[in-house]
Amino acid sequence: MERIKPHLPWITLVALIAVVGIANPAFLSPASFIVLTADVVPLFVMALGMTFAVYIGGIDLSVQQLANLVTVIATVYLMDFGIGVAVLCIFAGAGFGALSGFVTSRLYVPSFVSTLAMGFVALSAARWLSGQRALHMDAEQRDASFGWMFENTAGIPNELIIAGVLLAVCWFLQTRTTFGRSLKAVGAGELAAVASGINVDRVKILAFALSGALAAISGLVFSVKLSGGDANLANGFLLLAIVAVLVGGTPLTGGVGGVVNTAIGTLIVMVIRVAMVYLEVDATQQQMVFGIVLIVAIALTIDRSKLKIVK
Amino acid sequence: MYELQNVDKRFPGVHALKAVDFKVNRGEIVGLVGENGAGKSTLMKIIYGAYQPDGGVIAIDGRTVRFQNPRQAMDHGIGMVFQEQSLITNLTVMENIFLGFEQQFVRFGVIDWKAMTEAARHQLAKVKLDIDPATVTSKLSFAQRQLVELAKVLTLEERIDGDLVILLDEPTSVLAREEVELLFTIVRELTNRASFIFVSHRMDEVLELSSRIYVMKDGEVVDVVSHDEAEIDAIQRKMVGRDVDKQYYREQKQKPYDADKVLLSLKNASMGGKYRDISLDLHAGEVLCLVGTEGSGREAILRTIFGIERPDTGVLTIKGDKIARFSPQKGVACGIGYLPRERKIEGIVAGMNVYENMTLSQMGNFASLGVLHIGREKALAEEQVRSLAIKTPDIYKDCGGLSGGNQQKVVLAKWRSGGSDILLMDHPTRGLDIGAKEDVYDTIRDMSDAGAGIILVADTLEEAIGLSHNIIVLKDGEVQKHFAGAPGSKPSLYDLVHHMI
Repeated sequence: MERIKPHLPWITLVALIAVVGIANPAFLSPASFIVLTADVVPLFVMALGMTFAVYIGGIDLSVQQLANLVTVIATVYLMDFGIGVAVLCIFAGAGFGALSGFVTSRLYVPSFVSTLAMGFVALSAARWLSGQRALHMDAEQRDASFGWMFENTAGIPNELIIAGVLLAVCWFLQTRTTFGRSLKAVGAGELAAVASGINVDRVKILAFALSGALAAISGLVFSVKLSGGDANLANGFLLLAIVAVLVGGTPLTGGVGGVVNTAIGTLIVMVIRVAMVYLEVDATQQQMVFGIVLIVAIALTIDRSKLKIVK
Repeated sequence: MYELQNVDKRFPGVHALKAVDFKVNRGEIVGLVGENGAGKSTLMKIIYGAYQPDGGVIAIDGRTVRFQNPRQAMDHGIGMVFQEQSLITNLTVMENIFLGFEQQFVRFGVIDWKAMTEAARHQLAKVKLDIDPATVTSKLSFAQRQLVELAKVLTLEERIDGDLVILLDEPTSVLAREEVELLFTIVRELTNRASFIFVSHRMDEVLELSSRIYVMKDGEVVDVVSHDEAEIDAIQRKMVGRDVDKQYYREQKQKPYDADKVLLSLKNASMGGKYRDISLDLHAGEVLCLVGTEGSGREAILRTIFGIERPDTGVLTIKGDKIARFSPQKGVACGIGYLPRERKIEGIVAGMNVYENMTLSQMGNFASLGVLHIGREKALAEEQVRSLAIKTPDIYKDCGGLSGGNQQKVVLAKWRSGGSDILLMDHPTRGLDIGAKEDVYDTIRDMSDAGAGIILVADTLEEAIGLSHNIIVLKDGEVQKHFAGAPGSKPSLYDLVHHMI
């Protein structure tokens, strides 16, 4: 069991694709696969960020609200800054994330609570900034600044290429840099990381900042995709992002898994969604399914040796 | 009467027990010795029913038995006195003694506490412990708790008709000498009813108490010696598989230190509740031992110097540099290495492999602009694995899966290769087997030859005396006495203990 555990995510993915493919051969055609994959890019980017928070043994519950806030920021300031609004969005996301990280590491508030609270701050900011209305982007300005996102390069949607580049950057960060190694050390054995002279607080703050920045990119892509913003636009992302990270094989206890796992996890979420559409599961019931999937994934992946007591 | 024949046990990747034969006669005290990882704990777990053997036979009085769990083993008269004390500290003594067996005192659905008190008093009398059974366990001393554990197991006497087999797993490790004597007296008296299996690292105690001694190595019983022909040296040689150096603590290798070169100096440091007015100097090439009982402030002083804890007052100067903000980052940057007592928690990162662990404190040396040169890390790890004789299949192995001694060597390699010239060692040999201990001693001598200063909190007083140039005796957070310990003129155990208590 222990030996196959690391391989479970992709085995699950292949099995699911096979099952859905047999039931509905159209699903297996490359064209439809690309369309479906491009569709989950905003979710994937958010899950990618969340991976860093989970990898160090924390969690970031603020990502959905950060994405909501960013859809509003992007829509409101698109006219003023054009493509430069992306920088503003990313800074906002990273700032909120860093603040969560600060509260977690310096004030000893568990990330579960600090990010939840930060999420409400972001939600409230989004409501205030949007005046509680659904805002729309100026179509001309949107196409001029971000129209390229929905074009294709060599037959592949640029959206997917963005996702691929972000995955590559995150993978490099995770596996090849001192920062990534520190993340792993903090996730797998924080006290030993402290006793090795690693600046653990800084690592944590950076991990949450990264999570916030990627949530912002996710919100931005989503906002451009729907050509607008409002404080509830990204609702429904949070559960799926957590599911993507966990079914991918990065357990809540941290230290194992990583960003490639999250890519697999996101694809699993995508396939389950397709299967539910095919099986005509009502939209209102889909969250039920994902809730159950989440519990199963946590139960399967969590490292119980690290948890003495659960309350 | 109790017998294991040809017992085999495998775990993924490990053949933990290889065709082990083991026998306990009625009323006998049998010793069981072996290095860590020799298979002692696996054997014990099979005996008390926590594991089931993959092959072989367990027989009691010639009849084959099979236990699914410890409770079934208990029903056959087999009880275990645990090393890691299994008492629940917020329950009373009697509640602990009858934990899981309260049914006998239940009248009309409620517990008859009076009856339980009487019964508990009867059990405590067996181990000559005169305490109120209604005492909350946390109020007892460690020695008393150990006796309560034994009393708890002895409830088998009333419950079971036949003979008893009681396992004692390192029962003396937390006891003082006179408490050990008391325990041994009790055990000897109980042999009219029970047989004992006695597991201990303290060879002299095993020799004193046991009528026969099983010696284990690599999952096999390599020898069974009777009390009369047992010799510590011979047994140790069989356990390790080679001669144990007579000069155990490498005293012959101890060289004078450089008294002119002060690496570190702590002046008038105090920390609320931990230590008061501590001053010490550490010189290049010196091994300085802090000696004292648990809670005398030894660990807190080490952790202060490393930067994990901050003193309330006092000045720490490292190589002429006065420390303003205490943090482990600063400590590591100043060339301090720390071997924590909790090796598995603070020493190694379980879940990271050998080379990742070795460079954890010095990633900067293996990276440019934050990008790691993993090839160089691996080369370093290969070299350290060779030079410290670390037993690992390869450098990709998860450090959490290594044995205690090899984990400790990985931590040593981390600091040594990182160029640390001040080492703070908290019980560096705790729980290690003889071979690994000797390797640690060798490394300590090598490093101090190379000019490193070492502050040591030793596992035993003998170790402290053997290894150190200077000894500071602490009691209740205050310095009691300094001893110099050049080879040949070392203080005696008595000198130290005198000031400790």
